[in-house]
Amino acid sequence: MSRIKDDNSVGTRIGMAVTYIVLGIFTVLAIYPLIWLLINSFKTTQEFQLNKLGLPGSVEGYEWTFVNYKDAWVRGKFPILILNSVIYTAVTTVVVILFSFMGSFAFAKIRNRATPAIHGSFVIGLLLTLQSIMVPLYLMVNWVGLYNTRLGVLIPYIGIGMPMGIYLGTEYIKSIPDALVESARIDGATYLRIFRSIIAPMAAPVATTLAILTVTGTWNEFMLINILTSTDNIKSLPVGVQKFAGALATDYGKQFAALVIGLIPMLAFYLVFRKEITKGVAAGAVKG
Amino acid sequence: MSIFSKKKLGAAGEELALATQLKTGGGATARKEQIVSYWLLVLPGFLIYVAVMAFPTVFSIFLSLSDYKGGKLFGGPNPVKLVGFGYYSKMFHDEYFYLALKNNLYIVLVSVFGQIPLGFFMAYILFRGMVRGRDFFQTMIYLPCVISTVVIGILWKAFFAPTGAFTDLVRIFNPTYEAGLSSHPMIKVLFVILWMYTGTYLIIFLANLQKIDVSVIEAAKIDGASEIQALRYIILPALSGVIVTSAILAISGSLKSFDLIYVMTAGGPANRTSVLSLYMYDKAFRGAPNYPMANAISTVMVIISFLLIGLTKLVERKFGGRE
Repeated sequence: MSRIKDDNSVGTRIGMAVTYIVLGIFTVLAIYPLIWLLINSFKTTQEFQLNKLGLPGSVEGYEWTFVNYKDAWVRGKFPILILNSVIYTAVTTVVVILFSFMGSFAFAKIRNRATPAIHGSFVIGLLLTLQSIMVPLYLMVNWVGLYNTRLGVLIPYIGIGMPMGIYLGTEYIKSIPDALVESARIDGATYLRIFRSIIAPMAAPVATTLAILTVTGTWNEFMLINILTSTDNIKSLPVGVQKFAGALATDYGKQFAALVIGLIPMLAFYLVFRKEITKGVAAGAVKG
Repeated sequence: MSIFSKKKLGAAGEELALATQLKTGGGATARKEQIVSYWLLVLPGFLIYVAVMAFPTVFSIFLSLSDYKGGKLFGGPNPVKLVGFGYYSKMFHDEYFYLALKNNLYIVLVSVFGQIPLGFFMAYILFRGMVRGRDFFQTMIYLPCVISTVVIGILWKAFFAPTGAFTDLVRIFNPTYEAGLSSHPMIKVLFVILWMYTGTYLIIFLANLQKIDVSVIEAAKIDGASEIQALRYIILPALSGVIVTSAILAISGSLKSFDLIYVMTAGGPANRTSVLSLYMYDKAFRGAPNYPMANAISTVMVIISFLLIGLTKLVERKFGGRE
C-alpha cells in the first residue's frame, strides 16, 4: 500500500489520528445496535423496562439470564424454521449453479441460432423486480396447488436466481479458450461429456461467487416467502422471526433472543466466508 | 453492453461450429448431437425462468389492464375482461400513491447522495490512509448488510419504540425529551437505510480502488500533486464507471425497498412511511384484494426504475466517460 514510511511529519500523524477516529466512529455506529441487541437478550423484559442501556444485572435484583433463549427457541419453533431455511438455501444454490452453468456453456460454446433471443431474455431478467412478478406468482402458485408447499417456494427461488447465474456463468465460460472444447470434440467427446469433465471443474471460482450471492440472497429473502406460505412448518427463518414483531412485540426479552437466534447463522457464515462474500458483492455489482 | 456481448457470442459460436464440423468431418450425427445437447443444457433453467419471471412479468401487465377479481381466470362466474387503463387513472388520482412515491424518492436521494458518497469516503480512507486493520474495519462496517432485513427492522423498531432505548439515549443529552408522534417519521427509516447499506458501497469502491496502480499516484505525488489533485485527476476518473453502476444499483434497490419498512413501520403511522411496494402489497394482500390496481402499481414501478436508470446513463454520457 501507499505507506510513506520516511514521512513522519506532524501533519501525517494528525491525518492518521483523524483517519482512525473517523473509522472508529463508523465502526461503532455499525455494530453498536447489534451489541445492544445481544446485551439486552440476556435481560428479562421487566429488567429491560428499567434498564435499557446498561449491562444485565446493573439494576438491583436482576442478573444475566438465558431464560429468553429457552422460551424463544420453543415458541418460535426455531428447529423447523432453521431446517426449512437450510433446505431452501441449499437446494436453490445447487440447482441455480447447475442449471445456469449448463445454459451458460451452451450459450458460450455451442452454436445455435436461438442463443441471442434466449440469452437476451435472461439479461432482461437482471432488470426485473420481484414486485412486478409478486402478484402473478402468488396467483399461479395457488392455481397449480403449490401454495404453502416447499416446492412452491423452491421453484420461484430457482427461477429468480437464474439471470445472475447465466450472466456470471456466460461471461466466465466465454473466457475459457475455444481450443479446449474443440480438441475434446476432435477426440470424439460429446458436449455433455465436455461440460462434465472440462467446463464444470474449471468454473469453480465463479461458482463460488455465484454460490455466495445465492446463499445470502435466498437465506434472507422475505417478501416472496411471506406471501407464498402460511404455516410454520413451511416458513423460513426470516418469516418465522417476524412473528416476534407482531403478537409478541412487547415481550422484549423473548423478541431480542429470537432476533439473536435469527442472525447467528448468517453472522457465522459471514465471518467464515467474509473474503469470498466481499469479492462476490463486488462481482455482483457489475451488472447494470 | 448486452448487444455487444451477444454479437461476440454469436461469432465465437459460429467459428467453433465451423471448426468442429471441418475437423469431425461434419457428420450428421455430430450435428444432431450438437442440437440435442444444446437444448438439454439450456431448457431446464430456461423453462423455470420463463415460468417464474418472464411469463409473470407479461401476465402482470395483462392483469393491470383487466378487471380480475380472483378465482378462475376463464370459465368462472366472472370471466376476466380487459378494461384498459382505468386502474392506472384511479391510481394517479390516489393521494396515497403520491405519498408512497415521495417516500421512495427520499430513499433514492439518501441512497445516491448518502450511501454512495459515504461509502466512497470510507473506502478512500481505507485505501489511501496508512491504516492498520483495514480488514477489520471493512468486516465490521459491512456487517449490517449480511443480516436479514427482517431482523434489522425489528431491532430498530424496538430501539426507536417510545419505550425503547432511543428515548433513554436522547434523555442523556436532553432530560426533558418526551417520545411522541414524530413529525417526520420517515427520518428514522431513512437513517436505518443509510446505516444498513453504506457498507455495500464501501465494499464495491474498495474492490475497485484496489485495481488502481498505486505507483501512478505515487509518481504524481513526487511530481508535486496534492492529495486532492490525485483524487480529482487519477482516482475519480478511474472510478467513474463504478460510480454510475453504484448509482444504478442504489436507484433500483431503493425502489424495491420493502422488507425493512414492512417490519419496521408497516407504512404507518397513517401511511406516512409507505413506499410503492408496500402500497402495492396493501392493494393485493390486505383487505379485499384489488389485483388489477396492484399490478398497475408494479408496472409503474418498473417504468420509473427504467426511466431513472436511463437518466443516470444519460448523465454519465454527458459528464463521465473518461474511463
